[in-house]
Amino acid sequence: MDKKHGETQFKAAHGLLVAFLTLIVVLHALGIYLFTSGFLLTRIVLDHRSECAAPPADGAAGSPQRGCWHPKTFEKAVVVLIDALRYDFTVPQPAEQAHHFHNALTVLHETAVAQPRQAFLLPFIADAPTATLQRLKGLTTGTLPTFVDAGSNFAGTAIDEDNLVSQLRRARKTIVHLGDDTWHALFPGHFDAELTRAYDSFNVWDLHTVDNGVSEHVFPLMHAANASKWDVVIAHYLGVDHAGHRYGPDHPAMAAKLRQMDAVIRDMIRQLDDSTLLVVMGDHGMDAKGDHGGESDDEIQAALWMYSKQPRFGRSSPAYAAPPQTAKERSVAQIDLVPTLSLLLGLPIPFNNLGRPIEEAFIGPAGADYHNLATVSRLTAAQIYRYQEEMASVQSMDEVARASSLASFGFANDAWDAAVKAADAGRFAHVYELYTVYQQETLDICKALWASFDLPRMLNGVTILTLTLVLLAVYARGVAGDVSELSPQLLSRGGFGALASSLIGAALPEVSRQHSIIYAVAMGSNLGIASSFWSLRRRLLFLLPTTIWGYLSATFAILLSVGFAANSFTIWEDEILLHFLSTFGLLSTLSSFRQPNMTDRVLGVYHSVLFVLLSRLASLSRLCREEQMPYCQSTYYASATSSTSATWQLVLPLIVALLLPTFIRGYYDGTLSYQNSAIMWLGFGLRFGLLLSAVYWTLDAADDGEWYPSYGGMLKTLKTVIAQVTLAIAIGVGAPTFIWAKPFLNIEEGPPHTHKPHPSKQIVPKGPNSGASIAVLGYGNVHGSRYAILITIWYLALALVQKPMGAGALALCAWQIFSLLEIVATNQLASSAIGPVILSLMGSFHFFKTGHQATLSSIQWESAFIPLHTIRYPWSPLLVVMNTFGAQILCAVAVPALVLWKQQPRKKGLLGDVARAVATHILFYASVSLATTMWAGHLRRHLMLYRIFSPRFMMGAMVLLVVDLVSVFVAVVGMRVSSLSVAEVFGVTM
Amino acid sequence: MTTVITSSTKPPPPSHPIDVLNNDTARLYTHIHPVLVLSLYAFQFKAIVADPIPALTRTLIPLSILQIAYVAICLPPTGDTATAVPTTEKRKPGDKKKAEKGKLEREVGAKIIPAFLSLIIASAAAIPLLTTILILFGAPLTTHHAHTMLAAAHIAFLATLPLVYVHGVDGATWREIVALLKPVDEVYGGMIGTVVGAWLGAIPIPLDWDRAWQKWPVTIVTGAYAGWAVGKLLGGTLLKGRKIVFE
Repeated sequence: MDKKHGETQFKAAHGLLVAFLTLIVVLHALGIYLFTSGFLLTRIVLDHRSECAAPPADGAAGSPQRGCWHPKTFEKAVVVLIDALRYDFTVPQPAEQAHHFHNALTVLHETAVAQPRQAFLLPFIADAPTATLQRLKGLTTGTLPTFVDAGSNFAGTAIDEDNLVSQLRRARKTIVHLGDDTWHALFPGHFDAELTRAYDSFNVWDLHTVDNGVSEHVFPLMHAANASKWDVVIAHYLGVDHAGHRYGPDHPAMAAKLRQMDAVIRDMIRQLDDSTLLVVMGDHGMDAKGDHGGESDDEIQAALWMYSKQPRFGRSSPAYAAPPQTAKERSVAQIDLVPTLSLLLGLPIPFNNLGRPIEEAFIGPAGADYHNLATVSRLTAAQIYRYQEEMASVQSMDEVARASSLASFGFANDAWDAAVKAADAGRFAHVYELYTVYQQETLDICKALWASFDLPRMLNGVTILTLTLVLLAVYARGVAGDVSELSPQLLSRGGFGALASSLIGAALPEVSRQHSIIYAVAMGSNLGIASSFWSLRRRLLFLLPTTIWGYLSATFAILLSVGFAANSFTIWEDEILLHFLSTFGLLSTLSSFRQPNMTDRVLGVYHSVLFVLLSRLASLSRLCREEQMPYCQSTYYASATSSTSATWQLVLPLIVALLLPTFIRGYYDGTLSYQNSAIMWLGFGLRFGLLLSAVYWTLDAADDGEWYPSYGGMLKTLKTVIAQVTLAIAIGVGAPTFIWAKPFLNIEEGPPHTHKPHPSKQIVPKGPNSGASIAVLGYGNVHGSRYAILITIWYLALALVQKPMGAGALALCAWQIFSLLEIVATNQLASSAIGPVILSLMGSFHFFKTGHQATLSSIQWESAFIPLHTIRYPWSPLLVVMNTFGAQILCAVAVPALVLWKQQPRKKGLLGDVARAVATHILFYASVSLATTMWAGHLRRHLMLYRIFSPRFMMGAMVLLVVDLVSVFVAVVGMRVSSLSVAEVFGVTM
Repeated sequence: MTTVITSSTKPPPPSHPIDVLNNDTARLYTHIHPVLVLSLYAFQFKAIVADPIPALTRTLIPLSILQIAYVAICLPPTGDTATAVPTTEKRKPGDKKKAEKGKLEREVGAKIIPAFLSLIIASAAAIPLLTTILILFGAPLTTHHAHTMLAAAHIAFLATLPLVYVHGVDGATWREIVALLKPVDEVYGGMIGTVVGAWLGAIPIPLDWDRAWQKWPVTIVTGAYAGWAVGKLLGGTLLKGRKIVFE
C-alpha cells in the first residue's frame, strides 16, 4: 500500500516535471518562431520560364532572329563587369577636391557627354546584400535575392529560376565568360567550354591576375576574325574590388587600377563593331574602407554605362544630356538591366523579373520615341503581372497593396488602348509613366515581402529567448534543494500568466494579431515563472559559480557564445570544441589525481586520459566547410570532392560492431551490472544490430559503386530490408528491454568471507541465525546501469543513419559518454554543471565529426532513404534529423545517466537532480542559440550573414528544439521507466 | 654556512610555498629575471614570426641559460630547505671573503649542477609529454612536428625546469604538483601561468586577420611567456601560499 502510494507520488511529481519542461520547450519555440518570422526572409522561386513564342501582351510575336517579344537592337553584346565600380569613381571632379579614385576612369563620363546618342552613364543602385554572388543573382534574374530562395535546388548555389544567361542559352547563343569564377557556381555548364576562362575570386590580395587574364582573352575575341565565334562575352574584372579590400578606395593603387580599366574600355570602344552592344557596370560599390556587403549609400551606388557604335540611345530631356553628378539623381535599379538587356538583344524577359526598361536605351536617338518606350514598358509590366499572378497562388501577399497595384495595371492598360485607338503619339509618354507606376508598386510589395527585416518581431523573439534563458538558469543552477517539487507552482503560474496575457495580447491593436498573441503569451508565462521564483526567493542562490567546475562550465558556454559574433570562430567551431573538450579532460585528470581514494584516482585518471584521446581520435573525422580551406582536409568521404565513402571506411562500422558492445560491457562489468537482460541486449542485440548496420553500409557501397551491376535491384531491396531490420531491433528488442527489464542485479550466496568486497556489492546476512550471507551484485550502480541501456538503444538507431565514418565518430561519442560517466562518478561531480555542459560540448563536437557543418549544403539529405525507398512523412524528415543531429540527440539522452551512474538505490532527490542536469544541458544549447540569434540579428547587414551567421543561427535554433524535445520526452521520460523499475526492488525514494 | 644548517634540518612539509633565497641578489634578480626573459623573447619575436623553427631553436639557448641562472641564484634546490628558513645569524666581517670562495665552489656543486640536471630532466620528460598534450589539444597531427616540439620545449623550460629544480623527481611530490595540491608560490604560479597563457594563446589563431604572427605556434609560445611572467609575479606576491580548490 505504502509502496503503491510512493509510486503514485513519484509518477505525479514526474508528470508535473515533464509538463513544466514542456512549457520551457514551448517558450523556446515561440521565441525562435517570432525571431525567425521577422528575420528569415523567404522567397518562393517559381520554376516558370518565359518563352520566346509566348509574349505576355498581345502584339506580334517575333522570332529569335528578329527579336522575340520586341525587335532587337543589337546582335551581340560585350558585358564588362568591373567589380565594386562605385558611381562616383566615374564622375570627374575638380582637381582640388579629387581623391585618388577620381579622374582616373574618365572614359565613361566623357563618351556619355560627347556622344549622347551612342552612350549613357547612370547610377546603378544595388539591392542589399551587396555581395557579388547575391548581386549576380539580381543582375541576371531581375529579382531580389533573399536568404532562403526556396526552390527545387535547395542545397546548391546554382540559379534554377529563369534568368538572362539561361535565356541566352535557350536562344542558342554562345556565351563566353572571362574572370570571376562565381559565375560558374551560378550557371554551371552555360558557358562555351572552349573560350571561357574562369579565375579564382578568393585571393583579394592579388590585384592583377584576374584582370590581366580577362584582358588577355577578351581582345582577341573582339577581333573581327573571331566575331563569329560568340554572341555574348561576359568579362568580370576583380581588380578594383580587390584594391578596395586591400588598400581602400583612396589610394594610389586604386587610381592605377581605375586608369588600367579606363585604358581597357577605350581599347574596347576602338575594337567594337556596329552590331555589338558594350555594357560596363559595377555590381556594387564599396564603403570608405573598401569593403561591401551592407546597404550604405557607398555600397549600393554602382555605375552603369552602355555604348554603341551606332546612334541607338537618347535622352528624354536636354537637361539629362550630362550624366548625373551624384548617384542621388536619375538612378536606375540593378534589376532594370534584366529587361533592358533582354529586349535590346531580342530575348524574352526572364519570368521573375521585377525591373523596368531603362529609358535612355529605348527612347531613341531623338529622345522622343515614347511609343517604343511605352511598348517595352507594357511588355515588361505584362510579364510582371504574369509573375505576380503565379506568385499570389503560392505566397500570401498584402491584399490591399496588391489590389492597388492591380488597379494601376488596369489604368495603364486602358491608357495604352486609348492611345493606340487614337493613334496619338503624344499620349504614350503618359502610358509609359502609368506602366512605371505599376512596376514600382509591385516592386515595393515584393521588397516589403522579401527584403525588409521585421525588427519588432526579431526584438521580441530575442526578448522571449533571453528571459527564458535567465529563468532556466535560475531553475538549473540557482535554487537550493530539490527542484522537482517546484513543478506544480512553476507550472501553474507559468500557465496562468500565459492565459491571462493572451487576452491582453489579443486586445493589443497595433501590431499583427499573431505577433502580439505569441509575444504576450510567452512573456506572460515567463513572468508567471519569474513570480514563482520571486516567492521562493529565500531558496535562491547567487548564480555565480562556486567551484572550479562551475567556472569552467560558464567559461565554455560564454566563450563559445561570444565567439559566434566573429565569423572566424564560427567557422572553426569544431576545433574550438576539441580545445574545450581536451581542457576538460586535462582538468579532470588533475582533479582525479586529487582523489584520496586510490580506486577513484586510478579510474578517474584512466578515463580522463581516455576521454582526451577519444576526442582527438574523433577529430580526425572532418568535413571541411569552404571557408576552412586551405587549412583543412576533409576525411569524411573518399575525397574532398566526393560524397561517397572510401572502401577502407566500410571497415569502421564492422570494427564498431565488434568492439563497442565489449567496451560498454566493460563499464557494466566494472560495477558488476552485467546481469540478466543487460547480457542479452549488450552481448547480443546491440552487437547484432551494429553488425547489420555494417552490412547495410557495405551493400550500399556495392550498390553505389556498381560492384555487381547485374544485381543492382536486388542490392537496393536487400539493403533497405537490412536497414529496416536494424531499426526493428532497436525499437522491437531494445525498447522493450529497456521498458520491462528487471534491474541488473544478481545474488551470490555463501559464507561472508567468500565475498570479495567491491563498491558495487552489498553484503547482507542471509538470516538471523544463518552463517551465510548474501551479496547483491550491481547494487552500487543499479540506477545508472538500468538507465544507460537507453543510451545504447538510441545509439544503435542513430548509428545506422550515419555514413561509415560517422558511425565510427558516433561510436567514439558513445564510448566517451561512458568514460564521462566514470569521470563524473569518481570525481563526485554528479550535481555539478560540468557533466551536462560537457555532454553539450560533445554533442556539438560530434555533430561536426559525423560529417556536418553549420551550412545548408552539408545536410545529408540522402539519409532519408536508408530504410525507405521513397519519401514518407513524417519518417523521411525524422531520418534526416537523426542523421544531422545524431550526436546531440545521443548526448541529450545520456544526461540523466550523469546523475544516476553509481548512485545508491535509495538515494533521495534523484528526480530533482535529473531535472537540474537536464535543465543545465538545455541551458547550454539555449545560450548558444540565443547568442547566434542575437548575432545574426545584429549582423543582419554583414557581408557573411548569408554564408556564416544565418546558417549558424538556423542550426542553433534547430539544435535547441531537437535537444529540448529529446531531453524532455526521451531522457526525463526514460528516467521514469528506469526509476520505477528500480523501485520494484528497492521501493520508491523521493 | 647555509649548508651546515641544511644538514641538520628536516625537509619541510610539502605544503609550504617555496620562498626565494634569503639574500639580496636573489630577491633582486627574481624580479629582473622576467624582464630579461621577456626582453629576450621580444627581441627574437620578429625572427620567430618570420621563420619559427630556427628562431625558436636559437632562443632556447639563452632561455635555458637565463632559467639556470634564475634557479641557481634565486631558488632553493630540491632537498635544500635551509634557505627557506630565514637565516638570522650575523656574519662576522672577517669571515666573509673566505666563506665567499668556498661558497662559490659549493654553489657550483649545489646549484649549477642541479640546475643543469633539471634542464635535462625537464627536456627529457616534459617535452615529449607537452608535445603530446599540444597535439591532443588540436596541434597538427601529421605536420609541423618541429614547431609543436619547440613550443613544448619553451613551455618546458619556462614552467618545468624551475619545478624540477625545487621539487626534484619524487613521485609523490609530483602527484601533488600535477594535482594542483601544492600551495602557490612563484615557481608553481609560473607553471600555472605558462599553461593558462599557452591555452589563451590559441584564441587568436582562427581569426581571419591574415597576420604573420598568427602562424603555429607563435601565439601559443607568446601566451606561454606572458602567462609565465604574470603567473610568476602573482604566485610570488599576491597569491603566495594560496591553495587551489576545485570544489
